[in-house]
Amino acid sequence: MKNNFKNILVMICRICLGLMFIYASLDKIAHPEEFAKQIGYYKALPFGLENVLAIVLPWTELIVGICLIAGLLVDGATLLSIIMMLVFILAISQAMLRGIDITCGCFKVSADSDKLGLDTIIRDIIFLVMSYIVLNRQERKFEFLPKSD
Amino acid sequence: MLRVPLNQMLAIVILSLVVGLITNILRSDSIPILAKKISIVEDLNDVSGEPVSITLDQAKNLFDKGVVFVDARDDQYFKEGHIPNAWNSGFFMELMFKLDSAQTKIGPVVLYCSDDECGSSEELANDLFNEGFTKLYVFKGGWLEWSKAGYPVE
Repeated sequence: MKNNFKNILVMICRICLGLMFIYASLDKIAHPEEFAKQIGYYKALPFGLENVLAIVLPWTELIVGICLIAGLLVDGATLLSIIMMLVFILAISQAMLRGIDITCGCFKVSADSDKLGLDTIIRDIIFLVMSYIVLNRQERKFEFLPKSD
Repeated sequence: MLRVPLNQMLAIVILSLVVGLITNILRSDSIPILAKKISIVEDLNDVSGEPVSITLDQAKNLFDKGVVFVDARDDQYFKEGHIPNAWNSGFFMELMFKLDSAQTKIGPVVLYCSDDECGSSEELANDLFNEGFTKLYVFKGGWLEWSKAGYPVE
């Protein structure tokens, strides 16, 4: 019974994280230039590297999202999810500490996107905990590559 | 026991790198691998496209000519002090309609925030550019440089 509950919890976390990553990636893939500018506003990357990140990161989010839902490379996708959340939390915190007043660019790159704030950090911490729950799972259910137990 | 699936992680990163780069090459709105920094303009009249950056002297010059200044900082900082007659950015749509009805989209606008490290003036300039505004000056030195120079404030 306890194991069943854990498996259901892991499954819910996988689907929520997966849908969140897929949703977050779509607007960024559609508008790479706007997303690159959005990264630039954080004033955290040197040498114009925001463009490389704007080209690659949305695809990483999309692939991680698909992997989590489809049960492919779940361990790798979850660890990447943890790393991305840690980086996002760090980027948002440093911007807030430096008084940079910009929109988040987390889900939408348009002008009506959410402003950076404590709520964005709390949201990312929740995603971080969900990723940890998936990575720390005891049983592999509905995973196809590598095969489930 | 936690798993450290480096090979799986690497596979996903390499796949996104390859797909991202190939898509960027194939799409019509591709971007360069490294970003260009917003350029400082020499002739203030020679602006009719993407937002440009201006120096303190150029900002003062435009201020003296009565060009609209928009303060892109948070409300709280605007209330504490701003460049005389500057508009508070507030809600984007509201600002856009206000600017458009006051001087149409080809009217010059100077945008500033706290200092060189704040990104909001550049962000606002790019958002206005995307909406069709064509004479956008980003005063990067912002409030800090302006007030340090002893120029008028209110």
